[in-house]
Amino acid sequence: MVFHLDKCIGCHTCSVACKNVWTDRPGAEYMWWNNVETKPGTGFPTKWEDQDKFQGGWEREAGGGLKLKSQNRWDAMLKLFYNPAQPNLDEYYEPWTYRYDDLFDAKEGDDQPTAIAISQITGEPIQIEKGPNWDDDLSGSPEYAEKDINLDSLSEDERNAMFEVERVSMMYLPRICNHCANPSCVAACPSGALYKRGEDGIVLIDQDRCRGWRACVAACPYKKIYFNWKTGKSEKCILCFPRLETGQAPACFHSCVGRIRYMGVLLYDADRVAAAGDVPDEALVESYRGALLDPNDPEVLAAARANGISDGFIEAAQRSPVWRYVCQWKLALPLHPEYRTFPMLFYVPPLLPIMGRTNGGMYEHDGSEFHTTFEQARLPIKYLASLFSAGNTDEIEIVMRKLAAVRAYKRAQELGDLDVDRVLSGLRGAGLTTDDAEAIFALTAIAPLDERFVLPPIQREEAMPSSCDAEHCKGSCGLGASQAPERGA
Amino acid sequence: MIDSFLLVFLLVGLPYVAVLGCIAGSIWRFRSARFSYSALSSQFLEDKSLVLGSLPWHLGIFVVLAGHAVAFLIPRVWAGLVSNPGFLWTVEAIGLAASVLALIGLTTLLVRRLTSGRVQAVTTPIDLTVLALLLAQVVLGILVAVQHSFGAAWATGTVSPYLWSLATLRPNPALVSDLPPLVQAHMALAWVLVLLIPFSRLVHIFSIPIAYLWRAPQLVVWANPRRFQGVEAAVLVPARRYFLRGVAAISVGGALLAAGTAGTFGRFFFGPRPSEKEQTKLDQEKLTRLRQTQREKELTLERARQRYIKIAKVKDLDTKKGRYFIDYEMRAALAFLGDDGLPLFISAKCTHLGCTVASDLDAQGRVLCPCHVSYFDIKTGMPNAGAPAKDPLPHIAWVLMDAKGDVVMRRGADGRTHGDLAPDQAALCDVYIAKREESV
Repeated sequence: MVFHLDKCIGCHTCSVACKNVWTDRPGAEYMWWNNVETKPGTGFPTKWEDQDKFQGGWEREAGGGLKLKSQNRWDAMLKLFYNPAQPNLDEYYEPWTYRYDDLFDAKEGDDQPTAIAISQITGEPIQIEKGPNWDDDLSGSPEYAEKDINLDSLSEDERNAMFEVERVSMMYLPRICNHCANPSCVAACPSGALYKRGEDGIVLIDQDRCRGWRACVAACPYKKIYFNWKTGKSEKCILCFPRLETGQAPACFHSCVGRIRYMGVLLYDADRVAAAGDVPDEALVESYRGALLDPNDPEVLAAARANGISDGFIEAAQRSPVWRYVCQWKLALPLHPEYRTFPMLFYVPPLLPIMGRTNGGMYEHDGSEFHTTFEQARLPIKYLASLFSAGNTDEIEIVMRKLAAVRAYKRAQELGDLDVDRVLSGLRGAGLTTDDAEAIFALTAIAPLDERFVLPPIQREEAMPSSCDAEHCKGSCGLGASQAPERGA
Repeated sequence: MIDSFLLVFLLVGLPYVAVLGCIAGSIWRFRSARFSYSALSSQFLEDKSLVLGSLPWHLGIFVVLAGHAVAFLIPRVWAGLVSNPGFLWTVEAIGLAASVLALIGLTTLLVRRLTSGRVQAVTTPIDLTVLALLLAQVVLGILVAVQHSFGAAWATGTVSPYLWSLATLRPNPALVSDLPPLVQAHMALAWVLVLLIPFSRLVHIFSIPIAYLWRAPQLVVWANPRRFQGVEAAVLVPARRYFLRGVAAISVGGALLAAGTAGTFGRFFFGPRPSEKEQTKLDQEKLTRLRQTQREKELTLERARQRYIKIAKVKDLDTKKGRYFIDYEMRAALAFLGDDGLPLFISAKCTHLGCTVASDLDAQGRVLCPCHVSYFDIKTGMPNAGAPAKDPLPHIAWVLMDAKGDVVMRRGADGRTHGDLAPDQAALCDVYIAKREESV
C-alpha cells in the first residue's frame, strides 16, 4: 500500500466509509480503523507515537536480534491483570450521540428544545472534551501541535520558526493498519489469536480465540488495534478482505477523493524479515527496501512459483504500483520505521508546503531555484525524517529532490516558463530520466483505478478450505458470523 | 446442629455436582459459544482503581489457592513440613497476609463496579453474584484462619483426606462432618464457586495463556491449507522448535508430578492383591466394623426408647480415672466421682475440633485433649488459657436411683443438685443419664 500525501486533502471520507462499513456498532463507536491526522499534532489516540509511554513495537537486543519492547513472554504473564502501558478510553475519546428524542418529546415551553450530548457507553449526559479528530487543522495550537513528539528532534529555533503564526504549516496523515511484515501485535498475542494470512499478508484477529488480554493493543506501536469494550475482544482493520476476495478495493481506497491510495503486491522473503529490522535506525529504510524482492528477477519468480504463488499474483507483483513507488523510484517511505515492525504501508512525503521562510513578510525567494532550498522548507526535513525515515534526513531529501524535479519538468513541459537545461540537470541530479519523470507523473496524477489498485481477486472458493462447510466457516472467511458476537458472562 | 441429610449433600453431593457441572458446562460453552470466552477486562473503561483492586486480588488469591492446592496434592509431605512450628507459623502468616490482600483487592473491585458508571455499562447480574460470593468466601476463609488457627496443620488430617476420598470416588464425609460449621460453610461455598466457573466470568481461569511461553513469535495461517502445505511446513519449522521445547518442559513437569502421585495410584491399581489369609483378616475386620456399627445403632435405638440409661454403680466410679460412656446425643463423655462423693459427668468431646479427650486427671484436676493440647478443668469444664479450644466442656446431667428403682437424687447440666443424700448412701445407688427433656 502507498499513500501519496501530496494528494491528501484531509476530507476524512476514507474514515467515514470505514466507519459506516465496519465500526458502526455498540462497543466499536470509538474505533477508527482508518483515521486522518493533522501533523504536527498529537494524533489518535493522543500521543500514540510516544513509545516510552505505550511501549509498542520491537527493539534491538544487545546480542543481536529483535525483541518486543513490552509483552515478552514472562513480561506478558506479569501484566495479565493490569497493564500500565495500556491506553484507556480517555486517551481516545468517550463516544457520544445526542438525545434527539427530546427535540420531539420536550414539553411545550418558552425555550427551544435541545438535543443534549449523551455518552454512548453509559447513556448519561456528558461534557464533550475530545473527539476522534479534535486536532484537525489545528497545527499551530499549543494543545495539539506542540505536543507532537516528532518535534523533539528539532532545535528550539526550528520549533519556534514552525510555530510563528504566519508560518504555521501542516500536512495530513491518513492511517490504517500497516499490515506489517513483522507485526509486533501478532508476536505479542498471548492467546495466539492474531495471525498473518498466508495468501495476502493481511493481519487478522481470530475472534473465537481472542481472550481479551489486550497485549496486542499495547504492542502495536501504531495503536491500530482497538479493544471492543462491549464484547471484550480486540478488533482491527481487516483491509476489507471480503471486498478484496471479490476483486474490489477496500472501502477507504475506493472512497478516497484525492485518489491518494495505491495497492499492489510486494514479494518478500519471510526469513529475511526479522533480520531486516536488526540494523541501526538510519539504515532501516534502505534495509527494508532491500528485503523486498524484484518481481522481474527470474530467480525470484522461480522461487515464488515453487512456493505455490499463483500466476495471477506474480503478474500483479510485476504491475505493482507499490513496487514502483517504494523500490523502483524510492519515493515512498514507511511510517516510523524505527518501530521495526516492517510496515507494509508506505507514504510519499508531501512536497508542499515547501515555500521557504518569510523575511519581513516577504518570502525568501531568490529566484535561483524553482523552489526554495529544502533546508528552508516550512515543514522541516528533520520533522519529516522523524516521521518517515527514523531521523535519516538524506532519505527525505532524495525524495524531495525527485518530487521537485518531476514537478519542474512537467511545468517546463506544460507552461514553458522554466529554463529547460536547468530542469533537465535537476532531473539528472535527482537520479531520474525523463521516462521516469513521465511515469511518476502518470502514476501520481492521472492513473485510473486499475493502475492504482492492482490485486487479483482472491477467489472465495479458494480462500475457504474445501474440507470446511461454509456454515461452519462463517466468521472466518468473510461470510458473517454463525452466532451473534455477544459479550460473555 | 446441621441436619445430617443436608450435611451429606453439602459434603458429598455438592462436590460431585460442582465438578461434573464445571466440566460439562465448560465443554458446552467451549463448543457452543467460543466467542464468549474472554478475560472481560474493564481496564479500558476505568484503570485507576482497577490497579488497586485487580493486582492485590489476583496476587493474593493466587498465593492462597496455591497453599490449598499443595496441602491437597501432597498431604503427607505437607504434614511433615508443618510439624515444624517455625514453618507452620510462617505458612499461616503468609496465608493470612495473602488472604487479607485478596480481601482488600476484592472490596476495591466491588466498590469500583458499583460506583463507576462506565464499568456499570458492562456489568451483568452474574458479575455481581460472583463478586459477592467471592467476597463471602474470602471472609469465611479469614474467619476460619482466625478462629480455628493452624489450619495448615489440622486440614492435612481432615480436609485433605476428605478431598482425596472424593477424588478416588470413595467419599468419606465423616472426615469433615465434625469440623466447625464455619469450616463446612467455607467448603460448601467453594464447591458453589467451582460450579459457577463455566457460567460466569470466572471462565477466564481457563484462558491463562500458558502456551504463549513457548509458541513461535509469528503466526501465519493459510486460508487454503491444501494448496500451501509445503509453505506451511516451512513456516512451521520454528514453531515446531518452540513447540518441542514446550512439550519437553511440560513432560519434565508432568513426570515430576506423576512420580509424586504414582505411589498412591500405583498401589490402588497395581498393588499386590491380598492373599487368602490377608483377605480373611480384612473380612474379619470388616465384620468387626459391622458389629461395631450394629452396636452403635442399638445404642441409638436404646437412647430413643429409654428414659434412663444406666452408666455405673456410684461406688465403681473413681476420682482420678474417668469412665467413658456414650451420652444421649451419641457423643463420648466421661464419668468421675466428685470430691463431694457424688458423680461428676462431663462431655469428652473437645470443643476445638471434636477429638475425644483423655480419661486420666492430672495433678491440677484436668483432662487433656491430645489432638491440639487443650487442658480442661473437669470441675468448671474450662480449658486452660491459650489452649486452641475456647469453650468449656459441658457437664452432663445424671440421676441416682436406689435399689428399688426410685429416683432419689438428680443433678442438672447446669450443676444444680436436687435431693439430699449422704455420700455413703449415694454410694449404694446406681447412676443414670436421662433424656434431655427430663434431665432437670
